Amino acid sequence: MASKEIISKVWIEDGCIVCDACETAAPDVFEVLEETCIIRPAALDVEFCKPRSTEIVDAAEECPVDVIKFESTTVEVSDAEAAAVPADAPASDAAPAAPVVAPAKAAPAEAAPPAAASVHASTAGAPDPAIAALLKAATTRGGHAGMLKNADGGMASSGSTRGDARNLPPEARQAKVQAAAKKASADADAGRRAFASSGALMVGWGAFSAGAGLAVGPAFTRFMMPNVMEEPDPRIRIGKLQKYSEMEPGGVNEDYKPQGIWMIRLEDRIAALNIICTHLGCIPNWLVNERKYKCPCHGSGYYQNGVNFEGPTPRPLERFKIYVEDGIVVVDKSKKYNYELGQWDQPSSFLLV
Amino acid sequence: MTQFLASGSGMDGIKHIINVLCEPHWFLILSCVALAVFMVGYRTFTKPPIAAALAGVSTLFFIASCLDPNFFSIVSKGDNVPIVMMMVTLAFVLWIAFRQAAINDERMEKGEPLLEAGADDKVLVWPDLVYIELICLVLLTAFLVVWAIFLRAPLEQPADPNVAPNPAKAPWYFLGLQEMLVYFDPWLAGVVLPGLIVVGLIAVPYLDKNPRGNGYYTFKQRPFAIGTFMFGFGILWIVLIIFGTFLRGPNWNFFGPYEFWDHNKPAALLNVEFHDLFWIQMLGRPLPTEDVAFIPAYIIREIAGIAVLGVYFIAGPIILRAVFFRKLYVQMGFIRFSVMAMLFLVMMLMPIKMALRWTLNLHYIVGITEWFLNV
Ligand code: SF4
Ligand code: FES
Repeated sequence: MASKEIISKVWIEDGCIVCDACETAAPDVFEVLEETCIIRPAALDVEFCKPRSTEIVDAAEECPVDVIKFESTTVEVSDAEAAAVPADAPASDAAPAAPVVAPAKAAPAEAAPPAAASVHASTAGAPDPAIAALLKAATTRGGHAGMLKNADGGMASSGSTRGDARNLPPEARQAKVQAAAKKASADADAGRRAFASSGALMVGWGAFSAGAGLAVGPAFTRFMMPNVMEEPDPRIRIGKLQKYSEMEPGGVNEDYKPQGIWMIRLEDRIAALNIICTHLGCIPNWLVNERKYKCPCHGSGYYQNGVNFEGPTPRPLERFKIYVEDGIVVVDKSKKYNYELGQWDQPSSFLLV
Repeated sequence: MTQFLASGSGMDGIKHIINVLCEPHWFLILSCVALAVFMVGYRTFTKPPIAAALAGVSTLFFIASCLDPNFFSIVSKGDNVPIVMMMVTLAFVLWIAFRQAAINDERMEKGEPLLEAGADDKVLVWPDLVYIELICLVLLTAFLVVWAIFLRAPLEQPADPNVAPNPAKAPWYFLGLQEMLVYFDPWLAGVVLPGLIVVGLIAVPYLDKNPRGNGYYTFKQRPFAIGTFMFGFGILWIVLIIFGTFLRGPNWNFFGPYEFWDHNKPAALLNVEFHDLFWIQMLGRPLPTEDVAFIPAYIIREIAGIAVLGVYFIAGPIILRAVFFRKLYVQMGFIRFSVMAMLFLVMMLMPIKMALRWTLNLHYIVGITEWFLNV
């Protein structure tokens, strides 16, 4: 004696991803539309579904997101008849190590006849059983291991993996929600009282920690600061004015590059360029022959006067404050002048010669 | 072609052609073509005899190239040896994956069980895993010792904050990022885009809920997903690392693989700004410098670039949806699709900007230097 499933009702829950699998498996039951999948009107009839039971079970099996649900009755059939359903045997041959046990498709809804609650489906007749098995493994909670556990635990426990309310038919779900709501409102009063007392506690602790934080916080911040900050004098004396005024216009003096300064001679003035690339802070090189500063990191290039013209850098090199003190030129690196802000016109950014 | 051949006889001519083909735009185009050809013909190319032949030919080519002193000096630099190894291992890993995908896809068409069917993936930690780990550990240690003995660590002089080595290269695995910095504003290329790479990778499992391909190799079922990944990883990461390692020389100029690293190689890279193209070339007017009402001058100056980017990011997803991804859109839903399309478009910004830089020398599309907003 073997058993055979008869589908009495099939429906689709939310979450269809329009993958076409079901329509391929059971074309006259499912219809895949643009946005979702529906049961064809004809298939809402029990008599229509009965002869297509295997296909429907297969489609449910194939659905990668398991949104096809059905109710079924298991009936005993003679062996001869069972053989007519070419389902179980060949499939399990094809994928012996990946047993596919459908976690109870239809939950034991009140309406369903008692003994028929759980469904033992197989990959029967699916075009590629191995894929179906793998998809199943991928979409079953707990993966392959979970499936194996289910298989071991037998049919009785198989409902536990998928026992949550989502799998119930609509009416049963509704009832569950109502019951939960009733319970929640009964708990509410007790909850409110507990909340009030714990609320007082929270306010107390909150105030305490805030006070403690206010007292200790600034002290801690100060503690984390270094006691002494060593900063070299930003003013650098770079020699007599004459040394620079005698340069050719267009010249660059690299004597103070180790201090981070290029002295440049322009048409009527001298200025101090910051050697740091304005792109990401590498140190460019002055290429005499090409008359440009070229950065080795991403290839930014600057003209002799510091204006960028190639590569990724967004803005020109910066200039430092410069002045003469007792005949000696002093560069103050703490004050910078940016071209894009129009600061190169400011008198302290250059020396007229 | 005649000009190439005239430049030197035999070997030199070939080297010259390869040098030219390694110029950035050709190099990128050719890598993309190679990737596309590979993905279209993956079933053929991964057949063991053909794959072995390809590997053999490339190895021969590599060995022959090593006879060239310039090529050899770059490839054998202590820093660059791992990248040569990376190219080999990457090719191997790609072959394995696509080979299995090819087999599976074929079997699926015939309705046969997949490679993975019947595989028992349960493995015991002890002894299966720990054993393999132990063996790997021993072999790898031995290998590293030998490597360290024969290839000296490339130590250089003590660091000097006022001198940058020329060229100054990031660690090899970051060379792709460094290449990105050449084309975008530092905060974009250094912070936003790398951040988006990480965020985008984290988002993938939430964006892509398609279970096809989970637990088994396939290419046919997921051509877009795998193709996009191969482009982002293979081209925009790996190929850029190869770029940065072998083809970027002093002053961050491009050098062909057989070219001498000349510190004084002339390179004409005069930047062109998009706002100059728009206002001066197209409209024949000077750049606007006056604020209009409450709109600052720099917004008006950059209006064309802002419009171009706006169209790219707003019309882009709509066009993608209407033309290429009608079905995908339905499957993913609005939000997922929008996020996916945005990430995709941001990724494509990279090759677009590279192409613009190489062809037009375009500096920035939108260049609001006043606010460090340069794209
Ligand atoms: S198999 Fe499931 S997800 Fe795919 S079309 Fe059918 S119902 Fe929708
Ligand atoms: S740091 Fe100079 S070009 Fe990037």
